[in-house]
Amino acid sequence: MRRASLLDQRATFGTRRWFLWAVLVVLVAAVLVMLVWLAGRYEESQVQDRLDRDATDAVSDLRSALLRNVESLQALHSRNPVQQDRWVQDAAGLLHEHRELLRMEWRDAKLVTLAQANTVYRAPVFDRLGRNNAQSDVLLACTNARRATGPAYSPSYFVPQNEGLGLELMELCLPLTVGGAVTGFLVATYSLNDVLTELIGKQLGRGQDVSFTEADGTRLAFHGASRRGNRAFTSSQLLDLPGFTMVLRLDSWRVTPDLFPNVLTAMVVAMTIALASVLVLLARDMRKRQRAEQRLAEALAFRKAMEDSLVTGLRARDLHGHTTYVNPAFCQMVGFSARELLGPAAAAPYWPTELAGEYQQRQAIRLQGNSPPREGFESVFMRKDGSRFPVLIIEAPLIDAYGVQTGWMSAFLDISEQRRVEEMSRASQERLQATARLATVGEMASLLSHELNQPLAAISSYATGTINMLQDRTQPESNLSLEEAMRHIAEQAQRAGRVIKSVHDFVRRREHAREAVGPRALLDAIMPLVSLQARKLGVRIELRLEDYLPAASCDRTMVEQVLLNLTRNAMQAMDQPTVVDRVLVVQVKRAASNERTSHIHGWLEFSVADAGLGITPEVASKLFTPFFTTRSEGMGLGLSLCRTVIEQHGGFLEFGANYPQGTVFRFTLPVAPASQIARTI
Amino acid sequence: MQPVPNASVFIVDDDASVRAGLAWLLRSRHLPSQAFDSAEAFDQMLRSGYVQTQPCCLLLDVRMPGMSGLALFETMVQRGLTQVIPVIFLTGHADLPTAVAAVKRGAFDFCEKPVSDNALVDRIEQAIVQSDEFLKRQLQQEVVGRKIADLTERERSVMRLVTEGLPNKLIAEQLDISVRTVEVHRARVFDKMDVKSAVELANLLQHR
Repeated sequence: MRRASLLDQRATFGTRRWFLWAVLVVLVAAVLVMLVWLAGRYEESQVQDRLDRDATDAVSDLRSALLRNVESLQALHSRNPVQQDRWVQDAAGLLHEHRELLRMEWRDAKLVTLAQANTVYRAPVFDRLGRNNAQSDVLLACTNARRATGPAYSPSYFVPQNEGLGLELMELCLPLTVGGAVTGFLVATYSLNDVLTELIGKQLGRGQDVSFTEADGTRLAFHGASRRGNRAFTSSQLLDLPGFTMVLRLDSWRVTPDLFPNVLTAMVVAMTIALASVLVLLARDMRKRQRAEQRLAEALAFRKAMEDSLVTGLRARDLHGHTTYVNPAFCQMVGFSARELLGPAAAAPYWPTELAGEYQQRQAIRLQGNSPPREGFESVFMRKDGSRFPVLIIEAPLIDAYGVQTGWMSAFLDISEQRRVEEMSRASQERLQATARLATVGEMASLLSHELNQPLAAISSYATGTINMLQDRTQPESNLSLEEAMRHIAEQAQRAGRVIKSVHDFVRRREHAREAVGPRALLDAIMPLVSLQARKLGVRIELRLEDYLPAASCDRTMVEQVLLNLTRNAMQAMDQPTVVDRVLVVQVKRAASNERTSHIHGWLEFSVADAGLGITPEVASKLFTPFFTTRSEGMGLGLSLCRTVIEQHGGFLEFGANYPQGTVFRFTLPVAPASQIARTI
Repeated sequence: MQPVPNASVFIVDDDASVRAGLAWLLRSRHLPSQAFDSAEAFDQMLRSGYVQTQPCCLLLDVRMPGMSGLALFETMVQRGLTQVIPVIFLTGHADLPTAVAAVKRGAFDFCEKPVSDNALVDRIEQAIVQSDEFLKRQLQQEVVGRKIADLTERERSVMRLVTEGLPNKLIAEQLDISVRTVEVHRARVFDKMDVKSAVELANLLQHR
């Protein structure tokens, strides 16, 4: 589940990353296209500007050329009076010079032609239609000229020529004045085509066309090369002449590939390559980073899974004792959430309240830099519900990458289960021992009863038989046989006595097993068993031994059994819910009344005190009775056997009330004589 | 004052004084006894072709060195002797469960030691009576067996049908003989078996 979500997450990351990449590529492409487009636009505007400039130049050239022509024409009449022959001659010269002029006429004030001259470069234009056809245009121009007292032009008009061709012509009328009065007119006819060819054509570049059009776009005259490209730039300029206005249009033809200037292309290509390579590098870097990221994520996930799956609780503390990290196992162990445990404010809520002081002290010692034992130490923690459980703590200093200690790392093992198993095995072993003891006792009893039953059965038989005989009058029995029966009875009684004596002897024999044992050694021998049970019942054990205690002379096994019995009884007496302070005090001291004789060297007093509910008087009276017990599984032999053992040693076993509550059992053992100690050692 | 004449009591116990004591007690009640010091000794006697013809009883100690009382009892059960020799176990307290089990397997009784003696003797006498009855029944059956052996084949078939309670006519039909012949056979069976009626005959054959 977690893995699936991780994959999902990774997938969304991937999609988003690819989306970003696509956006980047699109943007870059857009920028490049824009760049190209702008470059084209720039180039176009450059071309247009040049064209516009050319057009303007052309118009001004045209205008100045026309003006010059007007001046040349005026010059014909500058001499007074003008001879007609001379005029024709001059006009012919002028026409020779200016190809754009087709015809010159000298007319009087009434527009009657006085003299005329035609260009030599063309056949006379008006031969076919007659000059009079153009009279209206001439009239219009001359009317304008008279009104303005200056040169005026007529609108252009078409004169068809041979072979379907034609010429677009324009009349120029120049008033001739003498003393402010118009004396005549000089009429010159322009061919618009030749105007273009002669006046502007030479300055035009290749790939440029020039034409005159009317305002509505109708082409009047054209000059230029045939088109050489598929892209046209156009510039129009108005040519304003007195009496006539037309448009000079300049067309420029370009080939498309040439639209892109080389420098720009190179720059764009270079930039594209640079961008692409940067992108590739970025992508590679990205992928590398991504891979590293993924590896890191995997490693992290692995570690996290490891930490989460651990059953060992982990906790990190900084040098101030604040918990900085806990793993889930630890949280589960103590039942608190990680949030409750972390942070500087959080104390340790898993410390049992009654032990918190002790733990505080332990932590203080740890923070001073004292290393704990490597193999760990046992402690008791409290769950959230207040229940206590034993833990094994292994602590180690937390060293960071720079080799500086930043805190303490602790591992926790919940050993309550282990404890429970130990406890169980101990309990089962005890039960086994008890059963074995019981079997032995049963066997003993059976043997003993058989041994005693035989003579008793015989005695009984003889006695009954004898009584039967004495009662039976019909069968007089001799005194002899009765006497014999009596003798048998006596024999069997003695035999029974011997059986009992032999049992006593068997018990006596153990007296020879006396040895000198130090009280500490006696207690050490039973302590493992006692502390096991103490841990289970939550009992604290206090040992109080006087200094320099002498060794006791005793049957070691028996006395250990006595001590074990008494301590076990004491702990069971405290196994009551009402007993809160469960403390077991085992004390050994020299007995107060130390009688000393030749073979007694003083006495040691052992006491086992509990803080239980004490012994009721009713129970107290039967305490040492064999087979009396208050426990269901008890045999009731414990205390009576204890007393027998102690009394065999010459000591006594007694009990009394303990202060403030509970019971204390005391017994005495003789101090070992020096000779015995020497022998034992 | 013997309840049954010629009765005898066997005592098997490893303890001599117990044996002697019991013998003394039995003698005081006019019961002759025979003592064995081990189970093996008694077993030996049983195996050496001994046939019990007199009513008797066995006092058997459970716990003995060597062959135990129970083992001996087991061989007697296997050989079907526990009817003719009723067994009374003498036990200590610890052997109580074993003794109870033995009674369930056919022992006459058990008695805890030390015994309340005259009560034991009373039980012994009851055991002897049982033994005697068993012997008598055995004897009677032997007599009946002999009488049956005297009958002819046809008489035996007639007798079987008579004891089943069939009237003569039906018996004749079944055996495919005349009623008259059946009556003759019937009279001869009654004569040979020494009975006077069919009921008496049925009673006689019941215990077989």
